[in-house]
Amino acid sequence: MTVGVVVDMMLGLALVALSLRVVTGGSLFRDIVLFILFGLLVALSWARLGAPDLALAEAAIGAGLTGALMLMAYRSIGADTEERPVRRRPGVALVVAVLTGSLVAVIGLAALGIERVPDAAGDAVLEALPGTGLGNAVTGVLLVFRGLDTMLEMAVLLVALLGAWTVLGDARPGRVHRVDRRTPLVGSLLTVVAPITLLVAVHLLLAGTDAPGGAFQAGAVLTGCGVLMVLTGTLRPTAVAGFATRLLVVAGLAAFVLVGAGAGFVGHAPMTLTGTWAVYLIETAMMLSIALTMTLLFARARGLRGEGS
Amino acid sequence: MSTEVVYVLAASAVFGAGVYGLIVANHLMRKLLALNVMSSAVFVTMLTVAGTTPEGPDPVAQALVLTGIVIAVAATAFALALLVRLVQETGLVSLRAKDDDGA
Repeated sequence: MTVGVVVDMMLGLALVALSLRVVTGGSLFRDIVLFILFGLLVALSWARLGAPDLALAEAAIGAGLTGALMLMAYRSIGADTEERPVRRRPGVALVVAVLTGSLVAVIGLAALGIERVPDAAGDAVLEALPGTGLGNAVTGVLLVFRGLDTMLEMAVLLVALLGAWTVLGDARPGRVHRVDRRTPLVGSLLTVVAPITLLVAVHLLLAGTDAPGGAFQAGAVLTGCGVLMVLTGTLRPTAVAGFATRLLVVAGLAAFVLVGAGAGFVGHAPMTLTGTWAVYLIETAMMLSIALTMTLLFARARGLRGEGS
Repeated sequence: MSTEVVYVLAASAVFGAGVYGLIVANHLMRKLLALNVMSSAVFVTMLTVAGTTPEGPDPVAQALVLTGIVIAVAATAFALALLVRLVQETGLVSLRAKDDDGA
């Protein structure tokens, strides 16, 4: 047994212990924080499994963004709505949980034992990748080989935002507790961290074609910047979506459709990306759409405006 | 015991914990936490069972899981918006009526 497998076992045990705590614990606030920790450990697991793209996405989206959304919702429904003690019998649920968990284990272990087919889609991707001009196989799948999936994923994000806007009704945008920015710590946090997140986001976007990273990770990091600006009052939630906001939230989907349809007009098969310029264009639009959509979902607002305006 | 086997077993236990939480929890936000825990377990299982290429885990499986992570956060955000509205309208954080305490 190597040191690596011991690390894996410790990580696995920690994941199981944390998940049990998250689903059964008594204090919702503490369990949301533990869930964020759980997400970070899942990110470590992705790194151990050799998937750095997923590790980045999990840390930024799975742990960071989901956690921020949960904490924000926790704030607005109020801490006084703590759940009542469970009254139904947990015995049946335990049996169901053990059975479904065992089912997952049996399926997983059985699948691990199966010999990998020689012409799996993943191998075909690695073979065709040099022809796309991309170095990162995951970006290749997302943008070139399975671009339709990613396009529809942007549609799902848009629908989630439209759904949240509908549910928002006539309610005023979620009130955000703002910290006093004149305190030295918050002021310097904003002036130092915000530009750095912007830099990291753009780096992840550009590096994503050849190295781990890409539009989703970049968009999530940019959302982090947006969340920081909402929390410090630099950006204020509004109840009306302006033209620029509407344009930006559909930009990712629109770029995909326009480039894809354009390829059809100039003689390629529809939805072909004819060069790396198309990948950069679509990924930039996706990053902006993801960041704005998620920031709006976080602030429960239809629009954002700068402090002075 | 290989790395993949460890993670499949851990993910199974985590999935079971998620199912338990989804059934037992009263508070809708805790049900959402349980759902997110379950989806993480599914993602880990998906990637490990897809097998590996010489350059790491199968890139198609990685892209699928990456898509899944983003869809999961979008669905969670929408569910939280529904939950906040539910609390505004009814003052309840669970789906049971106020007088329905037992069973």
